[in-house]
Amino acid sequence: MAETPLIRGIGLTKAYGNLVALRDADLTVMRGEVRALIGSNGAGKSTLIKILTGAAAPTAGVVEIAGETAPLGDPKEMIRRGIACIYQHPNLTPAMSVLDNIFLGRQPTRRFGFVDRGRHRREALALVERHGIDIDVDATVGGLPTVKQKEVEILKALALDARVILMDEPTGWLAASEVVKLHATIRAMKARGVGIVYISHVLDEIFAVCDTVTIIRDGRVVAESAVADIDRLQVVHLMVGEKLARESAQAMHHKRNPRGSGEIRLSARNLTKHGVFKDVSFDLYAGEVFCITGLIGSKRTELVRTLFGSDHFDSGVLEVDGQPSTFANPSRAMARGIGFVPEDRRREGLMLDMTVNENLAMATLDRFQYGLLMSRSRMGQAGRRMISSLSIQPPDGARTVNLLSGGNQQKVLVGKWLNRAPRILILDEPTVGVDVGAKAEIYTILRRERDGGAAVLVVSSDLEEVMTVADRIGIMVSGRLVAIHDADAVHMNEVVREIGMGTG
Amino acid sequence: MSASGVVTLSLIRRQIASNALPIAILAIVLVFTMAQPAFISPDNLIGIVRQAALIGIMATCTTFVIMTGGVDLSVGPVLAASGLVSYYCLEANLPLILVILAGLSVGVLVGLANGAAIAILQLPPIIVTLAMLSVVRGSALMLGGPEQHLIRDKPEYTFIGAGNLFGLPFSIYVFALVALVMIFIQRRTPLGLLVAAIGDNERAAYLSGHCTRATKTLVYVISGLGAALAGIIQSSQVHTALATYGPFGTELDVIAAVVLGGTSITGGNGSVARTLLGVFFLGVVNDGMNILNVSIDIQLIAKGAIIIVALALAARGG
Repeated sequence: MAETPLIRGIGLTKAYGNLVALRDADLTVMRGEVRALIGSNGAGKSTLIKILTGAAAPTAGVVEIAGETAPLGDPKEMIRRGIACIYQHPNLTPAMSVLDNIFLGRQPTRRFGFVDRGRHRREALALVERHGIDIDVDATVGGLPTVKQKEVEILKALALDARVILMDEPTGWLAASEVVKLHATIRAMKARGVGIVYISHVLDEIFAVCDTVTIIRDGRVVAESAVADIDRLQVVHLMVGEKLARESAQAMHHKRNPRGSGEIRLSARNLTKHGVFKDVSFDLYAGEVFCITGLIGSKRTELVRTLFGSDHFDSGVLEVDGQPSTFANPSRAMARGIGFVPEDRRREGLMLDMTVNENLAMATLDRFQYGLLMSRSRMGQAGRRMISSLSIQPPDGARTVNLLSGGNQQKVLVGKWLNRAPRILILDEPTVGVDVGAKAEIYTILRRERDGGAAVLVVSSDLEEVMTVADRIGIMVSGRLVAIHDADAVHMNEVVREIGMGTG
Repeated sequence: MSASGVVTLSLIRRQIASNALPIAILAIVLVFTMAQPAFISPDNLIGIVRQAALIGIMATCTTFVIMTGGVDLSVGPVLAASGLVSYYCLEANLPLILVILAGLSVGVLVGLANGAAIAILQLPPIIVTLAMLSVVRGSALMLGGPEQHLIRDKPEYTFIGAGNLFGLPFSIYVFALVALVMIFIQRRTPLGLLVAAIGDNERAAYLSGHCTRATKTLVYVISGLGAALAGIIQSSQVHTALATYGPFGTELDVIAAVVLGGTSITGGNGSVARTLLGVFFLGVVNDGMNILNVSIDIQLIAKGAIIIVALALAARGG
């Protein structure tokens, strides 16, 4: 007799008005199976996840849990039946201990509703032991590294007797060595019979940890396969379609251009911010892409913020075009031709409820101004030009940015700065949460800027990305820039080794 | 067929949701007219707008504050203080223009103080303006004492609130002008866009090179100006300045009008034009209940209930 799947979605369809986000999708997870769910942004992954967690009710279709038909659109019921979800951004209370977070809101109680701390602890320890997770249950969550926080979320799910855990880009903010640890945890759970749905844009991870893969495109399941029976190229083709796949392959190969035209645009000498980074020195040349990589927490973001004036260094010399410069605020840095794409586009980059055109105009409002007035039509024209130049989809400047896919949101954010024709463009993690096709497009945009003579500085944790776009690579470890290489002259393994130097 | 039917239905529902306020205003006008036909008379309708002008000027001027995610609770005492300052300037026989500028300067000063505390010291708007409410009320009492100050023989000043021009009260023209200017600022100037941007994502606006502190301070100055102008109109309308004008509840009416107009209390989305609808909605409700001789206690309860119901409906529609 065939084994009953832990969860099985049959013919799931979800329509929002006349937009069909998901059409007749099936998804099955067996005991101990790690199933990858992949697709471009906007393909329908989130819709499928929402249906499985009960956050949204499908227009048609059935979900069976352990062979029983489950009520739809009821998050509490789904949790009760053992379906848990771990979202990309942590959903924890940082000031509380691991123990408290695991049982938050449903502590075991004694008579009269007093929290039973003894039982609390016993259950947590049993859980930690059973699943082979190495963690101090008394540690404060806020002080834990990101990967440990993910593990706390996993424990939280397991404490609910989760039999299926949905993980939405669990490694989005993790460094390479942390990904390995998380994968070990996933394998341990798998061995205990937990089923996992693993959503990621990083193909390496799919091949490292998943058993089976479901690929969706434009709201339909376009392929289902064992990971062993499929290769990377096929996966990319299925995800993005033929044309984009070809362009993406082309974007991966290009001529490197270390030190560009030889003209130093920006030079940092012994930049120091007490307790954050120390003695950072480098030169950034016109016409090159310089990537700074390192683990999360190596203070790369903090460093580049001081270059843009949104934060300040304590000592050292920063020169732009040979002139010593300290920027009191971003607008001073912008006046010298610097543009900055921040790491977290939702929190720091975009006005999500405003239109594409308005967002694109945000750093160049003065250009649309006549005396006290602002010309909406000029803004619309500039928007149209940028939308077609970056092929932002859909090509509609009046659309609210929130409705765009992650990749297109990122293009809007980059486009905002391209409008200023920046002489120095700084990008912090430019492709986090961006699908393969849009990644390739963003790389093409960066190269176009570089070839147009801009100096491009990219901060990235994604080594695949660094090896793809960089002309030179700087490596940051614990607040120090420990090495700078020409990208041609260094092997990825060397970079990995240096990134890990001096850390535990 | 059925699918397109569903689409049409949802389209209609969305239309209703986005036009809920005008529809509600019409419905209430209809109900009051049936109960008391005098309600629809031109005189009464003009009276409604004239009554609504004070709250209306303050609400349009404070819409930006709420769009940036802030709030201004200090409008009531600013109204009183501005009337008193104008009164003393009139007593000193200053020319009209200086009287008005002096009255408005009260709003500018309070707005600057609010703005500085909120934008530069980063204190929470609700606490800052609540404290300012107390400070300004106290200052007004210190300035004017508990007694009424009659404004006598100043026809050019009292014309502002009590005069007629082409058959309409002059204060209605002032209200219309303020509303048009604010709508214009919102739609046609960079300031309007920047206000929405700050409400949506202040950090992103800062990282786009904008001086968000100056803009935030400016919106509180505009709000203070609106309250000060309302104070001038009120004192000239009733020929009296009094330190306790703009009593407790004024700020609630102002905020209710803005929020009924669909401006998000958490910032971002908002529209001065729709604030006007909120103002008229409240104006119609107030006047209708007066005409029907509803007692003040019931009026207050009914008004609160209507605001909550209207907001709940708006939230579902949106």
